[in-house]
Amino acid sequence: MSRTQTIWIGIGVVLLALSFFAQNLLPDYAVRVLTITCINALLVASMAPANGMTGVFSLGHVGFVAVGAYAAGILSLPVATKGSMLPDLPGWLAGWYLSFLPSTLVAGCVTAAVAIVVGAPLLRLSGHFVSVATLGFLVIVNEIVINADSLTRGARTFTGVPLETTLPWALGWLVVGLIALGRIASSPTGRAWRATREDVVAARAIGIETQPTRLSAFVLGAFFAGIGGALYAHYLGSFSPKSFLFAYTFTLISMLVIGGMGSLSGAVLGTVVVTALSEVLRNLERGMDFGALSIPPLYGASQIALGLLFIAIMILRPEGLLGPREIRFPNARSPKETTHDSAAP
Amino acid sequence: MTLLRRELLLGLAASLALMGAALAADPIRIAAPFNVTGGLSSLDAPALNGAKLKVAEINAAGGVLGRPLELEVFDTKSDATTVASVASQLVGGGKLAAGIGFTDSDSALALGPIFQKAGIPFVTPGATSPKLPDQVGDTMFLACFGDNVQAAAGAEFVRDQLKAKQVFLLRDNSAEYTTLLAKYFEAAYVKAGGTIIGHDDYKSGDKSLTAQITKIKAMATKPDAIYIAANPDDIGLVVKQFRQAGVMQPIIGGDGYDTPLLLSVGGKGANDVYFSTHAYMAADGTKPIQAFIKAYNAANKTDPENAFAALGYDTVALVADAIKRAGSDDPAKVKEALAATKGLEGITGTISFRPGVRVPDKTATIIGVKDEKLFLAAQVTPSFVPAP
Repeated sequence: MSRTQTIWIGIGVVLLALSFFAQNLLPDYAVRVLTITCINALLVASMAPANGMTGVFSLGHVGFVAVGAYAAGILSLPVATKGSMLPDLPGWLAGWYLSFLPSTLVAGCVTAAVAIVVGAPLLRLSGHFVSVATLGFLVIVNEIVINADSLTRGARTFTGVPLETTLPWALGWLVVGLIALGRIASSPTGRAWRATREDVVAARAIGIETQPTRLSAFVLGAFFAGIGGALYAHYLGSFSPKSFLFAYTFTLISMLVIGGMGSLSGAVLGTVVVTALSEVLRNLERGMDFGALSIPPLYGASQIALGLLFIAIMILRPEGLLGPREIRFPNARSPKETTHDSAAP
Repeated sequence: MTLLRRELLLGLAASLALMGAALAADPIRIAAPFNVTGGLSSLDAPALNGAKLKVAEINAAGGVLGRPLELEVFDTKSDATTVASVASQLVGGGKLAAGIGFTDSDSALALGPIFQKAGIPFVTPGATSPKLPDQVGDTMFLACFGDNVQAAAGAEFVRDQLKAKQVFLLRDNSAEYTTLLAKYFEAAYVKAGGTIIGHDDYKSGDKSLTAQITKIKAMATKPDAIYIAANPDDIGLVVKQFRQAGVMQPIIGGDGYDTPLLLSVGGKGANDVYFSTHAYMAADGTKPIQAFIKAYNAANKTDPENAFAALGYDTVALVADAIKRAGSDDPAKVKEALAATKGLEGITGTISFRPGVRVPDKTATIIGVKDEKLFLAAQVTPSFVPAP
């Protein structure tokens, strides 16, 4: 494990410990914004393996988020609520429910299974074709969710999911996700991912099979997308098929692109920057009062300002804030050298 | 020198303004999250403007309990996660007597649990799902009728006044509002003795309805009328395509049709279209509506876009009445006073809540289109209302 990784894990653990206090000390609004930032950061980071590292630019990621959210929602509705909300639920799902952690894990596994089925044929494609095909997947998921009335309530709002996603849970999953993705990204598997991105022919020449390699990135990303979807479901408690369509797709992709594709710290940075900016601008556009001087509210101005900022970032830093790099901590001299230095006269 | 004088004047003005604020009584704060931008803005923005108008009128007349009302307006951008963030920002941002907002269930459901937990009553001007209050809890109220009432009113109008014995039912299957509306319509129409001779679906955003229209034209028995449960964004294009394909039977729908888009996009195609909504917002409407249109025009430089403007106005009236009867801006007392509302005269009808039911019983207005102009077709209080 590199020094940078150790430091990152340390920071993650310290933040996690702090979050237990933060959720009682900070105002509810701040806790909520931090929680959704963690969920979005996990979702954006889970796009990094496929979209950034293997060069499979998937637009269907939110489809996996939808699968995770619905799976977790159906699994964790209390039995009594199931009876009134989903009267036509098949018998084998109706009589029991799971608590928060198991339902989240199962949702992640279900999503990963879907990704294997979908990814096997789709990842034979590359370049723009795979983007269009994954967009097709997103639309198919939306159609299925709308039409599978007995499982999902169709187009109607799915509501009644217990509100369990607290800041420590969301941050905890983010830390777990980042550690897992970071360790794998710097392992031989992660290097194989990047090799298939840089040159498919050269990668094959050294014995890397393109399709299974890409599929592993795709499925791993989908697993954490499913987890993120489950956290989202337990965060809002209600959602509908249109929550998981183009608007959310573009939000997540803009966070990824702003932060820098192919970088996990970039994914987190992009999410934090976009969320913080949109929250600040959203509060500014309500207008201000300085005694005699007042600025009237200008709703929608925050979206315009955000769009302009994105354009500026793309012009000044076309690869995003970090590009493919990670935030690294300079290697300190090894302990041995340090003792040498201090022993010197 | 001039610079100094200007600064002095500014300082003086600022201190005067501060003194003025301190002298006035503390305002009663009402949360007002609305989707001012995004997909729902064509409904939410008029509702907010209507609410602001009523607040201005109440404050000009001396406020409530001697204190002015103040709306804490937030734009929630038609996005559920923003709604949840705004809801906690409002709840954590100082004392609220009540909240008003939204014209759709998704937004109301995202906000609901947060206001419910804080015990602050929330009245939605336009989310018409009759299930909404029970999905959230005892703090959630509707100021409008439920979809079951308007669908039943539409069904009785079709059966009794248009004399249509068989109807084709088309619905947008991408939203809770349209799927429920279609379900309630079918229940009420069959109960009223009509027959549904066919069903079909489309999805909000579909640009072509050729498949659905061809199916209707190819039917052996032709429908006397077509009920289309549609969202406001699509309705103009929908009626236009039906008429262009030569389907001239009356088209009936719900308050989703109550948008300027019906006439501006639908054009001639909108003729012989009927829809149920909350109020007839035209110069030949009732006296209070005429006064409302005049005041709205003066404040916003445009006539009310649709009935949601009037619903926003009535929602503030409802909340102000409850605060007055509660004699305090304590949210728990306001909640109880709201639930006990009896016979409050609004411009969209009279509002009363039956015990334990937080959806008001109201009369539905049926509006028709003739020569590309709206006219008041009927006022219907349905005799049978399907269960929510």
